[in-house]
Amino acid sequence: MNGDVAPDAERGPVDPKAGRFDRVVTVLRVATLLVLVLAAVALVVGGEVGRSAAWVALAVLCAVPLLRVAWLAVRWFRRGDPRYGLVACGVLAVVAVGLTLA
Amino acid sequence: MNQLPAVVAVLAAAAALLGSVGGIGGAALLVPVLVALGAEPTAAAPVGLVVVAAGSLAASARQLDDGTVHHRLGLTLELAAAGGVVAGAIVSVDLPEQVVAWVLAGAAVVGAVSALARRGIRNQPVGILDAEPAGEWPGTLGGQYRLDGAVVPYQATHLERGLPAALVAGVVAGISGVGGGFLKTPAMSELMRVPVKVAAATTTFTLGITASAGLLVYAVQGRVDALDSAGALVGAVVGGWMGARIQSMLPAVVIRRATGVLLLVVATVVVVRT
Repeated sequence: MNGDVAPDAERGPVDPKAGRFDRVVTVLRVATLLVLVLAAVALVVGGEVGRSAAWVALAVLCAVPLLRVAWLAVRWFRRGDPRYGLVACGVLAVVAVGLTLA
Repeated sequence: MNQLPAVVAVLAAAAALLGSVGGIGGAALLVPVLVALGAEPTAAAPVGLVVVAAGSLAASARQLDDGTVHHRLGLTLELAAAGGVVAGAIVSVDLPEQVVAWVLAGAAVVGAVSALARRGIRNQPVGILDAEPAGEWPGTLGGQYRLDGAVVPYQATHLERGLPAALVAGVVAGISGVGGGFLKTPAMSELMRVPVKVAAATTTFTLGITASAGLLVYAVQGRVDALDSAGALVGAVVGGWMGARIQSMLPAVVIRRATGVLLLVVATVVVVRT
């Protein structure tokens, strides 16, 4: 993905590294490991401590995809792609409305 | 849930292993099995979405690094899917157990057909994409990916067909707890003309959002058992990891067929029990 190009830019080959997001990739790897460790601790320890660890694991598990959407929204607004920035915001709004209704 | 977390972990690992090799996802197998073993469908659904979310998270770094995820396409479809999963999760508590079980059995049958009909491995090994140019075009639903050393441009079409499919997948996920990837990926690839590799990676990305939205609603409803979920989470990650490694060692066609047949059996058991 090359976010520096305007929406109407001519379609064609992009920078080979344009689809790479090193920092986000690292964050996702750390989050995966964190969730796995917390869930394993919950399984091994059990009881109230284990239950707390499980809830934290679930919170991270649910938060990461939504934070990724928020990050995409900010990125697209900043890089001149407001239409899809609004789409990303719309997804978050749908989730928020759903939680309110639930 | 009656199942102990350790039992859920073992079942989730087996389901994720078979599901990843069979290309249908772990939840499509785990949730019907849990129901067939006696769990209430409304209690099994959150466990299924945990497996879906865990699988999506575990694959996310690799697929983002590959550049095969089309975020704009994924989020556009997710507008419908998120609405569907939230609506499905909200109404599922008021639906008769039999209806939920029938939705689950229907999803299992679709998953079985998907596994039995597939001719190739959808999620190929990662190594072949290293150092390849791939990405999406800003402001559009198009992009390009690499296939056998060549740059292949593509443009998603027929969004009006993909959105209803995503909505249905979301509703099914909210009601039953299966991810619905076996609906989303074919919809993207067959209805919207998106390359299968891109469709599969984009589906995995969107499933994480769908599952998170559904799980949050379930949590508000008080339907999430934290320890069972932890078991499912560990099992899903470990099983998915093992499945990715044995995928190249075992004949995928045989495993897909076995998974498909198993899903049909499980769907039958679910229907008979209700």
